[in-house]
Amino acid sequence: MFPNPGRDIGFSAVGAIGLFALLAGGGLLYQLIIGTGSAERLVTTMLIDAIIVIGIQIYVGNTGVLSFGHVGFGAIAGYSFALFAIPPEEKVKRIADAPWGLVDVSVNPWIAMLVATLITVAVAVVIGVGLARSGAESGAVAATVITLALLFVTHEVARNWPDVTGGDRAGLSFPIGGSLDSRVPIYVSLLAALLIARWYAQSRSGRLAVAAREDNLAARAMGVNPLVQQMAALLISVAIVSVGASLKVYEEGSILPDNFFFNYTLLTLVMLIVGGRNGVTGAVVGVMVMTAGRELTRRLGQDGYELFGLGLDDAPLDWIFRENLQMVFLGLAMLGFMIWRPAGLLDDREFDEWLQRKLGSRGAMTTDQPAPLPELTDIPHASLAVDDVDVRFGGFQALAGAGLEAASGEIVGLIGPNGAGKTTLVNVITGLVEPTAGTFKLDGSDVTVLAPFELARNGLVRTFQNLRLFGALTVRENVEVAAMIAQQHRAERTLRDADDLIAEAGLWDLRDRRARELDYGNSRRLELARAAALAPAFLLLDEPTSGMSDEESLAMVEQVRHMAATVGAGVLVIDHDLAFITGISDRIYVLDQGRIIANGSPTEVQADPAVQAAYLGSGTS
Amino acid sequence: MIELAQNLIDGLGRGSIYALLALGVAVIFGVMHLLNFAHGEMITVSGYAAFWALGAGWSWTVVVPLILVVSVVTSLLIERLAFSRVRGAPDFTLLLTSFGVHFLVSALLLLYVSASVKNYSRPGWVADTWSLGSLRIEVFDTVVIVITIITLLATTALLQRTMFGLALRAAAADFDTARLMGVRSNSVIRGAFALSGLLAGIAGVFWLMRAGSTNPTAGIDPMLKGVLAALIGGLGSLRGAVLGGFALGLAEVLLRSWLPNSLASLTEGVVFALIALLFIFRPQGLISVTHAERV
Repeated sequence: MFPNPGRDIGFSAVGAIGLFALLAGGGLLYQLIIGTGSAERLVTTMLIDAIIVIGIQIYVGNTGVLSFGHVGFGAIAGYSFALFAIPPEEKVKRIADAPWGLVDVSVNPWIAMLVATLITVAVAVVIGVGLARSGAESGAVAATVITLALLFVTHEVARNWPDVTGGDRAGLSFPIGGSLDSRVPIYVSLLAALLIARWYAQSRSGRLAVAAREDNLAARAMGVNPLVQQMAALLISVAIVSVGASLKVYEEGSILPDNFFFNYTLLTLVMLIVGGRNGVTGAVVGVMVMTAGRELTRRLGQDGYELFGLGLDDAPLDWIFRENLQMVFLGLAMLGFMIWRPAGLLDDREFDEWLQRKLGSRGAMTTDQPAPLPELTDIPHASLAVDDVDVRFGGFQALAGAGLEAASGEIVGLIGPNGAGKTTLVNVITGLVEPTAGTFKLDGSDVTVLAPFELARNGLVRTFQNLRLFGALTVRENVEVAAMIAQQHRAERTLRDADDLIAEAGLWDLRDRRARELDYGNSRRLELARAAALAPAFLLLDEPTSGMSDEESLAMVEQVRHMAATVGAGVLVIDHDLAFITGISDRIYVLDQGRIIANGSPTEVQADPAVQAAYLGSGTS
Repeated sequence: MIELAQNLIDGLGRGSIYALLALGVAVIFGVMHLLNFAHGEMITVSGYAAFWALGAGWSWTVVVPLILVVSVVTSLLIERLAFSRVRGAPDFTLLLTSFGVHFLVSALLLLYVSASVKNYSRPGWVADTWSLGSLRIEVFDTVVIVITIITLLATTALLQRTMFGLALRAAAADFDTARLMGVRSNSVIRGAFALSGLLAGIAGVFWLMRAGSTNPTAGIDPMLKGVLAALIGGLGSLRGAVLGGFALGLAEVLLRSWLPNSLASLTEGVVFALIALLFIFRPQGLISVTHAERV
């Protein structure tokens, strides 16, 4: 694999254990200092909340889709667990009329937990398909509404199906004194949740999900199918939430519809965002901070606000410090963090990555700049052919019989005045627009109807006019994601190492910077390096010089040539800058009003009277 | 046949209130890309104002304008204190900000106003009915439908005929371009919140008249109806929001009469599930406001 000090799975495990020690140790310390039964219960609650919040983080953090539904999944798991684990003699009291012989079912709680998890994950598969169909992506409102619907529907069903759930008032409960009496299962589940969360974030699926979170369209154009990664994240996430919810029910000894509704959704979401939803460390810190803050405000709100043994009896602030003060605290925390620090206290920083940097700085992890790459000599032949393509938008004909061809090893330019149909042609080639008529072939096979991610896997890789990098990822991670995809889908090509390409693009010194911190020119170079890492047969560059000065454009010519030669890609470059296109291309197509009006070498095209007419508007064609 | 007609009128009555709520949600979504989970707070706060005023012996004639004023002021205050600080933030932040506003307002009411349900007297005519052949029509539904139609016509006129309306529609279509063309974002956004507050206030008058009580979380229900109706209609489309409101009202009433008795209490759950299905198959809502994928 490619060397990468940030991605050592061993360190992740150490990090997860460290976070576990923080939660468990912090809790034990608090219990030791306070030394009461209520302190013990508070810590147990915190540990269970942590499992659930870590579960939510796996989905929300890695995909960027805001879910209100995880507590709804928790309700499904909680009721399933209760139905299977509560002994028949206790169930008879509440739900004697339950269907399917549920009353007589009685299994060991750990089997019940497993069954509850399986049932809930099965529901999550259905919801996940729905989310995928709705086009879930980071911040997608439709997806969030579907998750909200899940929360409401589970709550409504729980309230209105008393034969099974015990209804709104009574609920289901364990025999008194018969529920969870040891913390060991909680510790085990918490450690497992932390390990899984850190492992997932480092896994192939997790990294692709994060890439899609940062820029859905760019990820798809690179061969990622975000829906698959989101489904994986959802199922893992829901499984962990299910275990947490079962433990919550077991520990509390009962379940009511309102235990898994709006208030718990608020609590878990606040815990997630206060620490930083994009990291597991953030989730853990958020759980601890909010548990402490909530307990503090709850105590302040009690009469005479007794604060950890310090009775503050005089009451000048009684009119503020009222019962349920913690509710105001939660609302303020949510609002305050969204307004002033939406990324949370820690953003996506991880404890293990910090640890590794500390240890790595002693020398073992630093690598030298790689030597320049030789250009690829043995280039596999590839061809690209767009034939007689029509595109209509309603009554407007954007393309009328346009076509072009390109082969590996050459640089083909496409030029045309504004409104000529360049962008539409690019969209046809990259799979974003399906043509009304005509075909698009890659190496002789028809790829007209393939989705963008399938085209990328077939070797057609694009860049974007308005730069689409994965902003929160480092330069290195941006290129690595591409290299990872190439390893899976482009293995027949000569694959270049991510670090080599970064050095080749002149970004070696900036490799650990986040992409969003780069200036314009470096961002362009990174986008080119990332595209090259996909081992493309063809690179399609959409207005690569837009916003660049003349010198920068000139430098870009060299870079494009060099990058393409390094990975053996043919290049199709679209621009309206005549000087740039003639400088870079071996052959040029000129597009005007949806048709190709000329093609040939740069000199031929420049001399063509039709081209002059289209560009200068002089004479007749 | 009679039953169907009865249900249709009933559904139109409900739908009218939902349409007003949804329109308010859509107006805010248009200018800020914010799906406002705090849209019900205007009704919660006006509910307490109504309770207080009626308790002090005021008549509904005075309480109605009071509710409208309180609703508009609450909407503007929420914009000033919370939403103005997250303009242009990602959807994730906007959604959670409005979620936070909702929780904070209900927590503040819970702590500092009252934890219990507050009952007040409803106007006498709310329960009256009049007959048309064998149809029995609630006076209340009639008033709601008539006032809603007038409100929608007035809103249309406001949007079509005034500079503010033009600016608002332009901002809803493309906020950045509208700003470049000289639309002042501050005044458009504040105007949108005032309009949204007023529409919520009108819906709130009906809502509160019918409810006869209020409590700290009373805003959840109207908020959900408004948000769902706006979603059904296609976010960002004002006409869609109104249609979505009527569709939601009719769907609720018809489902309630069609579902077997044992499931009738699940009506809300079924409606929600149907909406989830709608979103799965038509994520853009009934009326799609298409934006080409920008590349």
